[in-house]
Amino acid sequence: MKKLSNILLTSLAVVLIVLAPACRSKKKNIPPVVTPSDTSASAPDVAPPPATNTGTTVAPPTDFVDETPKPVEETLPADIEQLNRYVQQKGYLRDAFYNYDEATLDDAAQSALSASATWLKSKDGAGYNLLVEGHCDERGTEQYNLALGDRRANSAKDYLVTLGVDSGRIRTVSYGEERPFDEGHEDSAWAKNRRAHLVLVR
Amino acid sequence: MKTSLLLLATLALAPLAAAQTDINTTLNANQAAQVVRIAVPFPELVPPSAPVAPEPVNSEEVRNGFFGPLTRDIAYSGIFAIAPLPPSVPVNTELLKRINAQLLLRLNVWKEGDDYVVEARLVDQAGSTQLGKRYRSPAPALGRTAHMLANELVRTLNGRPGVFLSQIAFASNRTGNWEIWLMDWDGSNQRRITFHNALSILPSWSPDNERMVYTSFARGTSDMYIINRRGGGRMRINSGLALNTSATFSPVGDDIAFVGSVHGNPDIYLIKDDGSNIRRLTTTGSVESTPEWSPNGRQIAFTSGRSGTPQIYVMDAEGTNVRRISYDGNWNDDAVFSPDGEKLAYTSRVNGRFQIRIANLITNESRIVAGEGSNEQPTWSPDGNWISFQSNRSGAWQVYRMRIDGTDLLQLTFDGENKEPDWSKKPE
Repeated sequence: MKKLSNILLTSLAVVLIVLAPACRSKKKNIPPVVTPSDTSASAPDVAPPPATNTGTTVAPPTDFVDETPKPVEETLPADIEQLNRYVQQKGYLRDAFYNYDEATLDDAAQSALSASATWLKSKDGAGYNLLVEGHCDERGTEQYNLALGDRRANSAKDYLVTLGVDSGRIRTVSYGEERPFDEGHEDSAWAKNRRAHLVLVR
Repeated sequence: MKTSLLLLATLALAPLAAAQTDINTTLNANQAAQVVRIAVPFPELVPPSAPVAPEPVNSEEVRNGFFGPLTRDIAYSGIFAIAPLPPSVPVNTELLKRINAQLLLRLNVWKEGDDYVVEARLVDQAGSTQLGKRYRSPAPALGRTAHMLANELVRTLNGRPGVFLSQIAFASNRTGNWEIWLMDWDGSNQRRITFHNALSILPSWSPDNERMVYTSFARGTSDMYIINRRGGGRMRINSGLALNTSATFSPVGDDIAFVGSVHGNPDIYLIKDDGSNIRRLTTTGSVESTPEWSPNGRQIAFTSGRSGTPQIYVMDAEGTNVRRISYDGNWNDDAVFSPDGEKLAYTSRVNGRFQIRIANLITNESRIVAGEGSNEQPTWSPDGNWISFQSNRSGAWQVYRMRIDGTDLLQLTFDGENKEPDWSKKPE
């Protein structure tokens, strides 16, 4: 029972952390309780923090934490593609971004994966498996980048596992430079394309 | 089998066998120093023995389907030069001498039923027939007939066939997904081989030109597949590893070299073409990729990041005796051995763009074959005179062909985006 309430506390804390900026923008100081009747269609229309914004998350005001936790239920989209868009928008799952020709995780990438691990271990996330896609920018060669993408996907997977996500839930695939997120040919596009992309699968 | 309709009817002309040795000796002497001038008038379109009701011949079909490809092949052969013919003058041995042409290729094309019949006679200045061939093919196969005849002309001169019947495999996204396609050496006859409706890339020919191995993401993971050149007999090779990219057949045995990965450590592996007997060749913690066999199967070139940037290395096929080949630039990949095993062509970054570099393994000299845009994934023609590669110089990835000195550049693909050319290993 204690364990359950811990989990609930954790999930609530994650929801609060993630939604804190949105709440403040609405100048309302109430916890963003999402009722079961809520659907994805009624999800907050406030833009989520971009995936690249992987700096430290804003800590909620202390009175949030001191409140008596109420059970929070969030209805997630049933369709897996909608769900993936939803959890990325909400920041529950965050992609890790890499430096050029590197597969090591910097602080921002670790922070993004840490948030992702928390959700994957939460009640909502625990029912899903994860596909980690390794991606590269177009400035390398295709064949080497396929291998590099494998390295990136696995560096992200390994970090999630060290954070307590069961390795049996995580599969990896490398797309190299074959599936860019941004078709542009400049620094900003390349930065978006060097990533480990997290995808929920059933 | 539609393709087998193309019945090659070799005319064993009686005087030919004797004459052939003559031409080989007399013309080989010339060939070393200079190209052989050949006159190639447009075919007569007359059946040899008047049949009861000759089928009408569409001369434009003959020009576009046969005569155009044939004269282009001859012009690109490197051993013939086509002698311009004055208009409206009968072509005979007198004229040959006047225009300084050593050879005349007399062509006649007529129709028998739905098929075209092509008759070719190679005649020297003395009027003797040096080569006689007759082919029968349906109209869509006229281009292949042209390539066959051009191959025979080259063989008559230097004893080896030309590259005109070789095929280039490549990946194309023209149907919406990347799939494996084939084309003739001149870009004609482009046809789709795979139907995964999923990312399918990196085709590589078997040494007998009968099969290809490639990578497809059809199951959500990347897997190796083998398929025959007509698109049948597809088989997945289960390595049990991740990646399964850059697969390439051994030129001498039943091994496939490929990039496999365990826990994010891509290395070069070998596996039998039935999926058995997997062996690991590289054991570093760095990224290894892009294996390619030497023509004798004794060595494997590959790319490794062990020095900090991707560079070209060569090792023995057992994984021993590793030596570094490339030192120029901070990104090199896609190494391929020339058919004589003496050179490596690879992709090399120069001033922020990729270029094709050709390195001589004996002298250790290398040179860049510069071009516009980014130029990657070189592949040698079976005779070692040409390189096909992909370039984005037009704004999209397309497959090109050039001589190894960069001349006679030709864009081969135009539809959608096209990349990763792999030239068939045998000339025909």
